[in-house]
Amino acid sequence: MSKNSSLQVMQERDMHKVVVGQKIMRVVSQFFLYLFLFAIAFIILFPFYWMVISSVKTLDEYLLTIPTLFPREFDFANYAEAFNTANLGRLFGNTVFVGVVSTILSLVITVLSAFAFARLEFKGKNAMFAALLATMMIPGELFTITNYKTVNDFGWLDLETYGFTVLIVPFLVSVFYIYLLKQNFMQIPNELYLAAKVDGTSDLKYLWKVMIPLALPTLISITILKMMGSWNTYMWPNLVADSQNYWLVTNGLRKFSVTVDNRPDTPVQMAAVAIVSAPLFMVFLFLRKYIMKGVSRSGIKG
Amino acid sequence: MVENKHQWKAWIYLSPAIVLLLVFTVWPIINTLIMAFSENYSSLAGLGGQTFKFGLGNFQHVIGYKGFITCLKNTMLLCVLTVPLSTILALLISVCLNAIKPFQKLLQTIYFLPYVTNSIAIGMVFAAMFNIVGNISSQEQIITTAGIINNFLGLFGVEPINWINAGSSYWANITVMVVYIVWNALPFKILILLGGLQSVNKQYYDAAKIDSTPKWRVLTKITVPLLSPMIAYVVITGFIGGFKEYSSIVGIFDVGMGPAGDHGRLNTMVGYIYDSIKNQQGRASAAALILFGIIFVVTMINLYVSKKKTHY
Amino acid sequence: MKKTLVALLLVATLLLSCFSMAGCGKKAQENFELNTGATYDGSEVELTFYHTMGANLREVLEKYITKFNELYPNIKITHSQVGSYDDVRDKIATELTVNNQPNIAYCYPDHVALYNLAGAVITLDEIISSKAEVKRADGTTEILGFTDEQIDDFIDAYYQEGKEFEGGKMHTLPLSKSTEVLYYNKTFFDQHGLKVPTTWDEMEEVCEKILKIDPKCIPLGYDSEANWFITMTEQLKTPYTSATGDRFLFNTKENQAFVKRFAEWHKKGYVTTEEIYGSYTSGLFTNLKAGEARSYMCIGSSAGASYQRPTKNANGKYPFDVGITTIPQADASNKKVISQGPSLCIFNGTEQEVLASWLFVKYLTTNVEFQAEFSMTSGYVPVIESVADHPVYSQFIKNANGGDNITALSAKTCLEQKDAYFVSPAFNGSSEARDQVGQLLQYCMVQYKTAKDVDAMIDKAFKDAVAECEYMS
Repeated sequence: MSKNSSLQVMQERDMHKVVVGQKIMRVVSQFFLYLFLFAIAFIILFPFYWMVISSVKTLDEYLLTIPTLFPREFDFANYAEAFNTANLGRLFGNTVFVGVVSTILSLVITVLSAFAFARLEFKGKNAMFAALLATMMIPGELFTITNYKTVNDFGWLDLETYGFTVLIVPFLVSVFYIYLLKQNFMQIPNELYLAAKVDGTSDLKYLWKVMIPLALPTLISITILKMMGSWNTYMWPNLVADSQNYWLVTNGLRKFSVTVDNRPDTPVQMAAVAIVSAPLFMVFLFLRKYIMKGVSRSGIKG
Repeated sequence: MVENKHQWKAWIYLSPAIVLLLVFTVWPIINTLIMAFSENYSSLAGLGGQTFKFGLGNFQHVIGYKGFITCLKNTMLLCVLTVPLSTILALLISVCLNAIKPFQKLLQTIYFLPYVTNSIAIGMVFAAMFNIVGNISSQEQIITTAGIINNFLGLFGVEPINWINAGSSYWANITVMVVYIVWNALPFKILILLGGLQSVNKQYYDAAKIDSTPKWRVLTKITVPLLSPMIAYVVITGFIGGFKEYSSIVGIFDVGMGPAGDHGRLNTMVGYIYDSIKNQQGRASAAALILFGIIFVVTMINLYVSKKKTHY
Repeated sequence: MKKTLVALLLVATLLLSCFSMAGCGKKAQENFELNTGATYDGSEVELTFYHTMGANLREVLEKYITKFNELYPNIKITHSQVGSYDDVRDKIATELTVNNQPNIAYCYPDHVALYNLAGAVITLDEIISSKAEVKRADGTTEILGFTDEQIDDFIDAYYQEGKEFEGGKMHTLPLSKSTEVLYYNKTFFDQHGLKVPTTWDEMEEVCEKILKIDPKCIPLGYDSEANWFITMTEQLKTPYTSATGDRFLFNTKENQAFVKRFAEWHKKGYVTTEEIYGSYTSGLFTNLKAGEARSYMCIGSSAGASYQRPTKNANGKYPFDVGITTIPQADASNKKVISQGPSLCIFNGTEQEVLASWLFVKYLTTNVEFQAEFSMTSGYVPVIESVADHPVYSQFIKNANGGDNITALSAKTCLEQKDAYFVSPAFNGSSEARDQVGQLLQYCMVQYKTAKDVDAMIDKAFKDAVAECEYMS
């Protein structure tokens, strides 16, 4: 008996040691976890920081051989110049309009297609999906001339009549997003779908009530990426939007911020980018909440 | 069980995507094919009345070009190096981020910032960080500034390394490119993987907690399998994107596609296509089709592997 | 289901090919021919003009469009800054495919060679020689073409550039030009009694001397290797390219010799270039930080003079005075400097569109007021000689100095060397040749120090460059 009890004590002691050890391990691992995450954060932040400080440098300081890590003097005139010369207000409105409309339409198309690929069975599904993936594999630059001819034949180059159609429609389908959402949809157990079928729920209702809420984080990621797209696209708008009334922000930025002898006036460009990025950043801050919500909404749990 | 009803339903759901793809993607691809097989095709010369005969001339021309092998090699190398590296790193970051409570929001916000950072800014920062300003290739070297990276390494007693300037080595160039490309790819992958991680059912983890399964086992046995569809996604699209690498090299080395004194050393397939697209669309199309062939094979292998390993 | 899909695909493809046939069917590019006696009849015409002007130049342009409209109120001109020169070229090359090109555009000679594959650029010879009368809104008249005085007024080399195409026909008119000049630190040169080099031999000597005075410097910075190579072939009268026959002729003994010489200079630390140095050479020239490298001479664009001026001290004075002069020569009797900057070309359209475009181009290139104001705003130099007599412009030149009025000093230098300008042949592939010779010189400079057999290295670099040119064109 006594042997047994001493064994018990020893076991308890060991247990205690293990718990303490686990606690230490926990603290140490948390420390390294944070160290790692903050180091990455620093590396990721640096170019952003660079963008912001460049936007308040004078052109002279910006052109220094050894770049300064902190502006010697703050030149906020860059912001005023960016705002005034680039007619940013108008371009900004255009970009928001094109961005919002393309995002909404694109989401509808993406959700429907991803649903078909993830949940419905039809002949040629795999071949169709492979073909879709294949279209991503040819560099899009080669499409420019043909697409330009096509939109010209459709008459869409007449922006006065057709408005922003030519800036929106050609880029509505993104195989990237369809694929992404399909992957996400496929994670949702099929039982839910079959149950819904038994209940007599229609596909669209099921899609709306179950699939979309469950895939919300992915949908928001797609929204962000698509919105960013209209903030960054340059080539196509520059080609098709002849009138300033239809320019997007990037067109304005590239065209207005040049010095006398056609060197880019980078500080002004950076200021303009900072101005147009700010609202986008706000949108992200607002949406982030929803990205993080994925689990709590999960209808599968329990 | 496949109901017949579903057949037409599926096509209805797919129809908007199909119609738009036919007009704005398939049709240009058909045109690409036509151009690729029209010898020495140039659209402007075509307008000028020149005709082009059907043949394989463009393909012969592209393959026979000695710079083409360089492009192919660079493209493959960068792809093979950057895709696995960025995926593993992004996975690690997402898992870590998901495992903490304080600062989670802040860090997530920071990781998002590259999306609202102008791409010109990013390229300039990286170029400036690695750039040595000075006359390195003259007898008496003069170095005005060795760049932030070299200054940092100097703290550990490392001699300045010629990363991207005149006379730099190929592997130094590749190292910089890998760092830059991985950096660029991270935010997107983190966004996707974190999104996936958030939708993973917490039950699995609770079960693991009760069993006090070691962390790395949780990672390899639970997290990775549950995330496998998302991982498959970032790997496959990563490879497709990686084979189309171009703008990142321009970001560091400008359109010269190589360090001073050795332009074109880091040229890629898409770089070659860009060079020819102005008035040699036939060759550009042929090169695009060759690239397509390569990506197609790699993607099929990827899909095959992921199908075997993906857990739904 | 599969059958339906196939059918759908087929229908869509057919539909689309019909569209594209329609596109082709237009056969956009009929070569324009001027009917005898044709003239602008005052009808309403809308013109578009693509350029790369920044905000301050656009103001000048708009002012003169208004003045032009006082003479021709029915010619409505929409102008737009398309981006960089390359953006202009790429946009027009795409627009040509659906006959949607502008009427007038900024151009470099190789752009015109590209557009000409489609036969899209108007040749101007017939219009220039036309004596047809054009009525203006103010009751006066002008002849459609150029008068002899107007042709004489053009700086000859600039005017000739428009003819550097296969067939020798006039394709472009010069709008404003720049060249390369030698900037030097006048204060330093005076202080040490150095002579400003006028030949490459003198350049070599002065670099050696400067290095002895300041061992931590790079005496000379050269912006563009391509300009250097091409200028040397002109100065030495050695082959570069030809618009006809064998096009890439630059692989010669003489050219290899000067490349070797400059590569050796680089090894000795006499010279660097923007790309090799890894930063703007103007930054090197204006750098004054103690302990850091600097240069005392810089060869760069005459339009960038304001960048070659150091920042003012706290007491409002420039730390050193900048001198500007003609770049060194190989042969004093054969002075040659490169000519750069935008020209204007006119695209196919209806007869009235073409003639209206011509009248506007003629107005911009021959109007003394516009040329003077445009030059003073841009830092480029005017293309007609009579601008020198314009009161405001002559005052501008008179006030030239190496400090506040450095732009004027640069313009003055350019005007003084107007007989030395040359232009290179333009053909499809001429820009590739330019890139290749620049890279070739750069490559040899960088490799010189480590190459085992310098001559073999240079020979191979030349052969590779020619092969690359021939492949790409």
